Amino acid sequence: MLEVKAVSKNFSGVPAVEDVSFTVNENEYVTLLGSSGSGKSVLLRLIAGLLTPDEGDVFLNGTPITDLPCHERRIGFVQQKYALFPHLNVYDNIAFGLRHRVIDPVKDESIIRKKVQNTIELVGLVGQETKMTGQISGGQKQRVSLARTLVTEPKICLLDEPLGALDANLRERMTIELQNIRRELGVSFMHVTGNEFEALAMGQNMLVMSDGRIVQQGAPQDMYARPQDLITAKSMHNFNILSGDDLSAQLKAGTSDKLPATKLKDAHFCAIPMDKIDISDASAKTSGLSAEFLTSEFLGNKIIYFFKIENGDVCEVENHMSLRERRELKANATYQLHWKSKDILYYGENKQLLG
Amino acid sequence: MRSNKGTWLLLSPGIIWITLFLVAPLIMMIYVSFWTQTTFSIKPDMTVVSWVNFFSSDTYFGALLRTIRIWFTVLMVTILVGFPVALYIGQFIKNKTLQTALLVTCVIPFWTSFLIRVLAWRPMLGKEGAINILLQKMGIINAPIEVLLYTELSVIIGMVQIYVVFMVGPIAFMIGRIDGSLIEGARDLGASTWTIFRRIILPLSMPGVIVGAIFVTVMVLGEFATASALSGRKVNLLGNIIITQVGSLKWAFAAVAGVVLTVVMATFVAIMLRIVNLRNQL
Repeated sequence: MLEVKAVSKNFSGVPAVEDVSFTVNENEYVTLLGSSGSGKSVLLRLIAGLLTPDEGDVFLNGTPITDLPCHERRIGFVQQKYALFPHLNVYDNIAFGLRHRVIDPVKDESIIRKKVQNTIELVGLVGQETKMTGQISGGQKQRVSLARTLVTEPKICLLDEPLGALDANLRERMTIELQNIRRELGVSFMHVTGNEFEALAMGQNMLVMSDGRIVQQGAPQDMYARPQDLITAKSMHNFNILSGDDLSAQLKAGTSDKLPATKLKDAHFCAIPMDKIDISDASAKTSGLSAEFLTSEFLGNKIIYFFKIENGDVCEVENHMSLRERRELKANATYQLHWKSKDILYYGENKQLLG
Repeated sequence: MRSNKGTWLLLSPGIIWITLFLVAPLIMMIYVSFWTQTTFSIKPDMTVVSWVNFFSSDTYFGALLRTIRIWFTVLMVTILVGFPVALYIGQFIKNKTLQTALLVTCVIPFWTSFLIRVLAWRPMLGKEGAINILLQKMGIINAPIEVLLYTELSVIIGMVQIYVVFMVGPIAFMIGRIDGSLIEGARDLGASTWTIFRRIILPLSMPGVIVGAIFVTVMVLGEFATASALSGRKVNLLGNIIITQVGSLKWAFAAVAGVVLTVVMATFVAIMLRIVNLRNQL
């Protein structure tokens, strides 16, 4: 449905988006994961028509919309800052698009009332209609912003870090609600976020962006288990990345069974899942990668141990409470880290997954 | 209650100042307007003679109407001229430094004295002034336009030039505060540029218009210098009446004109503040 083909955008010579191509299908929830400065907001603005690409094209249902001004595209854009109109109340904010759009504005107030009321019920804002935007909470503002876009029945809805400003509880609730709302309307959502959990939890399809490029796209579970690209692996925050001249020495020390020789030869980087590493005392008979314990972080259902390995890199070990008992480790003491050969992901010089 | 004491302590300089220099003189002015005026002296015997004279005389009541007419014209023209300038500075100039620089540029005429600014219009607008010469040289007119100077028009031109900056400043400030994301939001919802101007920018800039209108009103209603300098004393505003009455020691009558002027100003300001709730908007 939405097709982005080889789109690039520079800002005074500095590339913000480079040769980006992807497709969003009908009735699909796509998440776009990227750190700040990765170009994800620029990409959304290019799709929405708030910026014009230097190269490439955007198609909606097969029709090129690259040269169409923003207000004629019928692409919904829920902004990070909500951008509610401060002089209008909740109802009028939501009705704005229906009343004032250039294409096919709704003149009949009774139709507007019906549509606005339906959307207000959908996003859970009943009773807030006459309040001014300054009188409602952040979560409610977010709902108004969403409702204001959804009521215009866009073909696709772009959400720029929609949950960024919400507190953790509300964010979790909105995660589920956003999915329900989308399913009910059958509209496609493209959700941009810097939070890997959000991206994994919400998307049916997921894109990872870094330095203006899409580095990987696919289903969240594949992306998490076997990132095809080292940048994706890093952005999942689930892997320890081993690298350097002594990579094979590190691997040989830490791997408790036999290593595959062919992959080892080509590997420039390795990713080891944080929750697949075992810790044993330095005195233990088993060999391992020796590492100095720095500190730990208790997160309720899991605990994360931080180690410093010989080349100075920090190595994190995740211990799920349901799997293993909590271990008390001594600060600055040396321990052995080891893992199984089947859990290692190997990346070549081009940072792509081997085999 | 210590906080209460502190509050009063902080408020007292303001209260004393306002009482001594605003409230007391106002009450005095109202009081004096009812005194009995004889040719060269004034006695505190209460009478309404000055009030009756003011409203029954064509000269004085006419001056009131003229003052209101000129004020209203100047107000409208300053909004019409000032708004586009403010819109340009506030919305189209994205660089904050340049915004400030442009606003300062608007104030540059104020670096010369008021009198020079007013009198400079004479060689511009006169029968053999710059505008007439230019238009004649260009062949647009055959005879000089005489209505340009020593008329109500010249007073209005002079006042607009002097006071328009007080309209531009507050409006530019309000427009500059409108977040770009609101405009993008409206555009994404399908609104055209004109709709965005009418439905978003205009309502959000209203507090600026109101503040500007209050500035312009307070200054124009009390004006006398521009009127006497550019009308050749033909256009008498309420301010000019007060000057001449005080000059001839007719204190009671000057007080009447003063009270009328104050009431007109206060009424306008009150109406403006009712239209826009400044406390909510600023």
